[in-house]
Amino acid sequence: MLAVRARLDKAHVALIFLLVVLGGSSAGGRVLGIALAFGAFLAFNFFFLPPYLTFALADPLDWLVLVTFLITSIVAAQLLYRATSTAEVATARAAEVDRLATLGAETLNLARPEDALRAILEVIRTTLDVVSCDVIVHGPGGGFVTVARSPAEGNGGAREAGAVRFESSNPTARASVLGWPDTTDTTSAEGLVGWIFVHGRGAVELADGAIRIVDDPALETARSDRSDEVRALWIALAVRNETVGVLRVRTPGDLRLTLDQARFLDALAYYVALGVERRRLVADAERAEAERRVEALRRALLTAVSHDLRTPLTTIKAIAHEIADGGPTDGARVIEEESDRLDALVGDLLDLSRIQSGAIGPSMEVNTADDLIGAALRRADAILRGRVIDVELPPNDLLAGRFDLTHALRALVNLLENASKYSPAASPITIRARQEGDRLRISVLDRGPGVPDEERERIFEPFYRPATTAPDVRGTGLGLSIARGLAVAQGGAVEFEPRAGGGSVFTLVLPGADGAVPDADDSDLPGRALSDTA
Amino acid sequence: MSPVTVLVIDDEPQIRRAVRNALTSGRLFGGYGDLPTESTTTRSESQRGVRVIEAVTGREGIDFAAAESPALIILDLGLPDMSGIEVCREIRRWSSAPIIVLSARHADTEKVALLDAGADDYLTKPFSTIELVARVRAQLRRAQTAAVPNDPIVTIGDLTVDLERRRVERGGTLVHLTPTEWLLLRTFVTHPRQTLTHRQLFRAVWGNASGDAQQYLRVYVGHLRRKIEADSVRPQFIQTEAGVGYRFEPASTP
Repeated sequence: MLAVRARLDKAHVALIFLLVVLGGSSAGGRVLGIALAFGAFLAFNFFFLPPYLTFALADPLDWLVLVTFLITSIVAAQLLYRATSTAEVATARAAEVDRLATLGAETLNLARPEDALRAILEVIRTTLDVVSCDVIVHGPGGGFVTVARSPAEGNGGAREAGAVRFESSNPTARASVLGWPDTTDTTSAEGLVGWIFVHGRGAVELADGAIRIVDDPALETARSDRSDEVRALWIALAVRNETVGVLRVRTPGDLRLTLDQARFLDALAYYVALGVERRRLVADAERAEAERRVEALRRALLTAVSHDLRTPLTTIKAIAHEIADGGPTDGARVIEEESDRLDALVGDLLDLSRIQSGAIGPSMEVNTADDLIGAALRRADAILRGRVIDVELPPNDLLAGRFDLTHALRALVNLLENASKYSPAASPITIRARQEGDRLRISVLDRGPGVPDEERERIFEPFYRPATTAPDVRGTGLGLSIARGLAVAQGGAVEFEPRAGGGSVFTLVLPGADGAVPDADDSDLPGRALSDTA
Repeated sequence: MSPVTVLVIDDEPQIRRAVRNALTSGRLFGGYGDLPTESTTTRSESQRGVRVIEAVTGREGIDFAAAESPALIILDLGLPDMSGIEVCREIRRWSSAPIIVLSARHADTEKVALLDAGADDYLTKPFSTIELVARVRAQLRRAQTAAVPNDPIVTIGDLTVDLERRRVERGGTLVHLTPTEWLLLRTFVTHPRQTLTHRQLFRAVWGNASGDAQQYLRVYVGHLRRKIEADSVRPQFIQTEAGVGYRFEPASTP
């Protein structure tokens, strides 16, 4: 440039220097840009404004050129810096939004809404480095309950409904609440939660126990000019302008958030609100479904009681009347049979109501397949009389599981009864037991007509009987439903599959015995010889 | 010969009536075609009468049990004044008469508690009177023979158990048993026709100690069955009483 100095105009030089400053400041930031501006200012003066190689200026108008150049360079560098940093913030924001969106989608998609809530609370707790987060909603019987908590507290339950309490206990200080209406109970946390539910505002709980009502507790904590220590935040969770819950964030020391953290908390609080809302909707749906099923069951039960109970009663009454009138006594046998039928039906109905109300507490013990199958064959003896029953067991292994023998026995007897009822009397029934992974599977195989595809689940519904059932097949239509209910109650299942070559396979699946079953020839009492036992 | 006294403690008049009729109809001691008559039933025994006394409440039942020293007690669980288990425990403090409990279904835990409290047998309502008579007869016979010292060699079908030399043979072949299996078998053989609860078996095999092995009681029974039974799912000797325990049946009815 120096070589062609004589032919250059001042404007050319200024423009070239400006380019250098802009290039420097875009590559190296604001400080480099401004330093380059000053450097260019000096170099312009020293090399390109006569007299050359001095800082003196021949033409006073050159000062105007120089100062204008300096101001332009600095302003340009500054503008460039702002634009760059705005873009960076925008990128960071976009990344954060992305992260929130992913988190939201992931957590809200968890199968159980309570798990989703807990997952979000976990994120809040670890990101903000606070001690605990919990969500308080309206309890079913009035009052407020905690539905999710992070960290989850003992006895496995984040569901536990504890009374809502303040972090610090100082009721007198609490009386001086800012913006707190006089009519509200100011001494209990329940009062505060109730107030938040009505007004949709939040609160900050201070170290001295005082409560300050604020619109955005998170931002309040991030304010740099506050002097009081914050112990807990009470954030209203709103969905569509309706408060659905209260998020409480607690810490033993002072809770101080950066502006970004506050914004993050507010964003996540909205996810928590969605989670609470989802939980409520799921509960509503479950309740509606349960009500529908109870109603269906009630109707089926009425039909059963009016038909299945009255039919044997009618027979018994008629025959008893005959006998009392001095008629033949050979009907007594029928009375006994009909009584047995009534007894079976009452037993079925009792079992069903226990299963439906979840009132069967299975007692899980290590039991053997031998015991189960043996007891089932003995109990179903009258029904299976005259039939060929093949039992297929692994010849050398003693199969065992951890299950409730009484319930499993009832389930298996029901499957045997079912097989016997719906298959030709001359065809054999096979019982096959085997271990599969950590499950014990006991299958009942028959050569009956099988079950059409569309009825495969319906056969497990209470009182369901296929339309093709022969009229002389007696039963309540409860057997399979009870069998499945009893199996499920102990962590098992009853499965159906068609049998190759025609017929059905019903399998009772039971929990296995987790491996540690002693072998036949284990020296099971170490140090105890036979002679000690006399 | 004096009649056998049976005490029935039940608040339901219809059940008392059914029990009374069943016991006094002459079926109890022989003379009824469809029941197997066993050699120990002597002619004089079959001619003995049965006296049935009835109590309506638990308190009354305990008083009668003390005053009348019945040979056997039939106790219904649904008493108005006290629980069956209390009655059972109270009577067991001073009487060794067999107690047969009548219970509704779905009461396994209650049954177990009663057997542990000293009851000897139970029947589930509704029961047939034939069943009731058979159980009463078995209990009376057991009570009678319990005092007689057992022959150390017990032979049941093709099974020979030598209690003194601790040898078990099946069809002439020596059966090898582990110590636990032996203790189980010995307990069964010395308590024939008696429902033994899981707890009673634990105590007999492992003493009062509790340990890991106890949870596998049913597995040990399974191993024992496979060694002494011809068909382990259709056992001849060791019957499963689901939810309660086991019963050893030496009178094999295959």
